[in-house]
Amino acid sequence: MIPCIESGIPGFDDLTKSESAMGGIPENSSTLVYGPAKTGKTIFSNQFAYQGLLNDEPCLYIMTDQGIKQFEDMMFDFQRPINKFIEDKTLYTINTTSNISEGKPQKNENIVSSYINNPTDIMVKVSYGVKYVNKNNPRFRSVLDSSTTLLAYNENMLILRVLKAYLMRINEAGGTSIITYTEDSADKKVETILKTMVNNIVRLDGKELTVEAMKGIGKRSSPYQITDEGLVI
Amino acid sequence: MIPTIESGIPGFDELTISEISEGGIPEKSTTLIYGPPKTGKSIFCNQFTYHGLLKQEPCLYLTTDQSLKQLQSNMMEFQWLIMNYIQNQTLYVIDGISHLSGAKLEETNNIKSSSVANSSDMMVKIGIGTRSVYKKSNHFRSVLDSINTLITFNPDQMVIRVLKAYLRRIREARGSGIIAYTEGVADLETENILKSLFDNIIRLDGKNIHFEYLSEENDEIHNFEATYTITDKGFVIEKK
Amino acid sequence: MKKTHIPKLDDFLGGGIPGGSSILFCAVPGVECEAFGYQILNGNIEDGDKGFIFTNVTEPQNIIYEFNKYGWNLEKYLEEEKVFFVDGSSNFMGVPPMGKYTIDELSQIEGIVLKAIDDIPNGVGVINNLSTLLDYLDDDKIIEIISKWNKRAKEKNTILVYIFTKWDYDPKIIENIKNSVDSVISLTSIEERVIIGQGFMVTSASWTTPSKNLVLFFVLQPGGVKIYIPKILVTGPYNAGKTSFVKSISKKSVSVERMAMEKFPTTIAMDIGHVDHKGFVADVFGTPGQERFDLMLDVLAKEAVGAFILVDSTEPQTFARAKEMINKTQSEAIPKIIVANKQDLPGALSPEQIREIMKLDKSIPIIPTIVNENTGVEEALDTLLNLLYGD
Repeated sequence: MIPCIESGIPGFDDLTKSESAMGGIPENSSTLVYGPAKTGKTIFSNQFAYQGLLNDEPCLYIMTDQGIKQFEDMMFDFQRPINKFIEDKTLYTINTTSNISEGKPQKNENIVSSYINNPTDIMVKVSYGVKYVNKNNPRFRSVLDSSTTLLAYNENMLILRVLKAYLMRINEAGGTSIITYTEDSADKKVETILKTMVNNIVRLDGKELTVEAMKGIGKRSSPYQITDEGLVI
Repeated sequence: MIPTIESGIPGFDELTISEISEGGIPEKSTTLIYGPPKTGKSIFCNQFTYHGLLKQEPCLYLTTDQSLKQLQSNMMEFQWLIMNYIQNQTLYVIDGISHLSGAKLEETNNIKSSSVANSSDMMVKIGIGTRSVYKKSNHFRSVLDSINTLITFNPDQMVIRVLKAYLRRIREARGSGIIAYTEGVADLETENILKSLFDNIIRLDGKNIHFEYLSEENDEIHNFEATYTITDKGFVIEKK
Repeated sequence: MKKTHIPKLDDFLGGGIPGGSSILFCAVPGVECEAFGYQILNGNIEDGDKGFIFTNVTEPQNIIYEFNKYGWNLEKYLEEEKVFFVDGSSNFMGVPPMGKYTIDELSQIEGIVLKAIDDIPNGVGVINNLSTLLDYLDDDKIIEIISKWNKRAKEKNTILVYIFTKWDYDPKIIENIKNSVDSVISLTSIEERVIIGQGFMVTSASWTTPSKNLVLFFVLQPGGVKIYIPKILVTGPYNAGKTSFVKSISKKSVSVERMAMEKFPTTIAMDIGHVDHKGFVADVFGTPGQERFDLMLDVLAKEAVGAFILVDSTEPQTFARAKEMINKTQSEAIPKIIVANKQDLPGALSPEQIREIMKLDKSIPIIPTIVNENTGVEEALDTLLNLLYGD
């Protein structure tokens, strides 16, 4: 039986049940969540992160598309307040936009900022972040939302190498990771390489959620909606 | 009849029976297995490896996409336990990627760490590895899974050069090699050169498997096609 | 002249490398080449010079780790600022760069390495790896860069050591690269379906007429590059002290994967040892002295490259047997020396007396020893190595 962790997406864990999988996201694996723009990839990631926090699984969250403030607001709107987790330090965020849009960076040691065009710096903070979230609980989650922005600001192959190193690090430390990517935002080649680097692939097209690949189950899909409680299958 | 080795894939050896072959993968040849992402290439390779180990055929395994640790756990899911074969040194592993995770791999006689960006070092270890498996048996298998990460870390020409050197090494030592590659990872031109380097080609598309080889016996290209599934026992060719 | 600190290489190069020269290690894929560059650097730093390592194949941290495995403390030299890195790898991999200079993009390589050369007058710079550069830059550009670096190195009296793996490049570019350096050392493989040995040979040196011997080598961790002698035979009549001799010249600590070792089942009664002496490593096989083992002696002798023939200096009646064994080993053709053991016992004959009784040619040295007390053993070893590889 493949051990899984709760996805936090209502209906997803049932969809992914099989004879050999418990349903949910396989533990210590990596998942690519991709699809056209505005199909709920960020919401998916947020729910995944939040569920972990509720289950005492710390989370490393690398956000390139939103600042910490926006993130907090968005979570709050979906009835998922995260300030508690910032305070108890089970959430560690690295954000690369607040430098520009939000002025002064946060003072909390677990809310750090980096530069979107400096992947090396991001990786330094990732290594630190992994140690930080990992020290109290070997079971943790990690979200990178999104790779699209990183790819847009840097040389593609460099980012793919960095992402490979990122995934290797999370896996080695025992974490379960999600990377989001907006379809067709980069070369087809980039998308293919991204797919080869992860264990599971989930595609969102606005109407249907398709599990294109996942350990222990074949291809599956189901319609979904985005309600005021988030993404629901 | 051309000499073959058992693939270890249920249904594959039956599928490939012909007037010149009793079925299986032509012995001492090199095979490219390719297709879109997540179509079962690694599972095929691992099953091929494990079957060889069961038959006491040593294997040189160059892993570049996943660390040895990940490889072991992936194989475990199909009940393919390789620990014993690592311990008795039938399996020789060059791990070209785990250093990226920040973990230091414990090196032994048959577990070597290298780096996907350091082709020279990788080739040195392949040299030592082939010697080691060759001395154990003249029926050894070799697996490279996969070219993808090499492409991400090196210029295309360099990857081709390394592959040529690698394939030459395997051929010289008369090993049977399988190399995995995900379609679309390299540019079309590179992809075409890649394909031209191999004796046999297997293409997977998630549903169908297509196997093709040029026989020196009758100078004909032999083609086989079937459908397949991935079960908890691994890769299975479906009966027609 | 600077020493290379690679055994035998200095002799081949007429004493070493003149300051300001460039030297290319050109390796067949699969042959170990990095160790040569690192060993030259390490040796010269120990001699008090400064140096740098340019890397585009792996992050500096991994190189420090490699040095450690050779038993060399690069970290200390970095702290003392005797060595620095030109890091052309980390930014490419997306990991934190380390070192005095960091390459952000290809176009900076030329200038930054020039700066690095300026920083270490009379020192040694190692470029690892030239071939990795070749696939990023075009052929003419690479030749142009090498000449600029070499020109600057000449001015600063700095030695540049290039590591190059000879993948299947256009022979023309390889030729051009070889022509742009002062000296080329080829690292080749000896193959029988697989690589069974590695050898180096000086193919050119602008400052001298190099001796073009192919020398087998091994890279040991710890230890670095060592000359490898595949098989030395120790033979002689029964009770001449062969086992003790093998023991006294061997170091147990050496563990190398050795072809020769694995060719013989260990059940055969025979002494096997590993010598690690003055930059040489060798596998030593002692054969039993009794006649019933003569067949084994034939087998062993076939591939031996050198032999010690032990005699008990107090037992002239066994000399005939020793002479017979010399003939049996066909060792007339291979370099050999007579080890005249038990010189401390009463009645021991002198080397001259032994030579006379055995009617031995002057070309075969006879070394007086007391193996049990380790007297003369090192001299015996030196004498045979000298015969094998000359001065």
